[in-house]
Amino acid sequence: MTRAPDIPPGWSYNPASWSQRLPIVAAALQGFGIAGYLSAFQFGWLRSVWEPFFGDGSRQILSSKISRLLPIPDAALGAFGYLADAVAGVIGGRGRWRTMPWIVIGFGILVGPLGAVSIALVILQPTMFGEWCTLCLATAVISVLMIGPAMDEVLASCQHLRRVVDRGEPFWEAFWGQSHPETSQSSVGVDGGGR
Amino acid sequence: MWAQLCNTAIGVWLMAAPAVLGYGGAAALNDRIVGPIVATFAVVAASEATRGARWVNLPIGLWMILSRWILGSPTSARLNGMAVGPMLLTFALVRGRIEEQFGGGWAILFRSGSERL
Repeated sequence: MTRAPDIPPGWSYNPASWSQRLPIVAAALQGFGIAGYLSAFQFGWLRSVWEPFFGDGSRQILSSKISRLLPIPDAALGAFGYLADAVAGVIGGRGRWRTMPWIVIGFGILVGPLGAVSIALVILQPTMFGEWCTLCLATAVISVLMIGPAMDEVLASCQHLRRVVDRGEPFWEAFWGQSHPETSQSSVGVDGGGR
Repeated sequence: MWAQLCNTAIGVWLMAAPAVLGYGGAAALNDRIVGPIVATFAVVAASEATRGARWVNLPIGLWMILSRWILGSPTSARLNGMAVGPMLLTFALVRGRIEEQFGGGWAILFRSGSERL
């Protein structure tokens, strides 16, 4: 119960420290920028799209039927997803794995599917269209790189909730961060780095 | 970590291999689907907290060897599968060094019983 306030029990570092989270937020913002650019092409605001390697590939893929399956173009959905990732990455302090598990787990749920959709789209590029799209691949790389670094924080939150349940305390109160008796002085912590 | 980076490179290679080695058909389709999946799980497994994701590439390595006979492939595709499959499988088995501690990791979430920490 009384430990260094921000490092989860049994951990060697704090997965919710800013040095852990800011790189993920930076990656999400890059994804937002690239997906935003691609959706500007899909909305017709740009005449052409940058494609250094695959000739007509980007244009063909970005104007394909699959990219229009939903009411808004797929790159716009992606841009929205990256923005949501960035916002969910910034909310909360260094103890958020314990003080707001809902945002940490929500963040993990956002990062996971965004990665899955990116990979599905990467598989579709050569198999359905016989083409590749450089910037689409770049966004997929960003999505995949975000997954691993985001998941340690999710693990810390899940372990915290598991301890709460094991102690017989109400799950949902802990999940929404309404009760966190282990922490009241978290503002003065040691640096959670541990590295 | 290096083993997971090797599998990442193998995943990327599989995406390019049909074009580089000039094979098509079922083997090419297979490799273009398997490549991104291999690379994704290898990248995720490069992080210490999610090192367990490496296990996904073990059955995929086996499949890369077997699929060449099941799908009936040209020689270049068959040789590629025979080269890539065993490497994937081997690198998936490498746990590598894990320096950080994760409070019992993912397994502890599913272990029944009382407080452990």
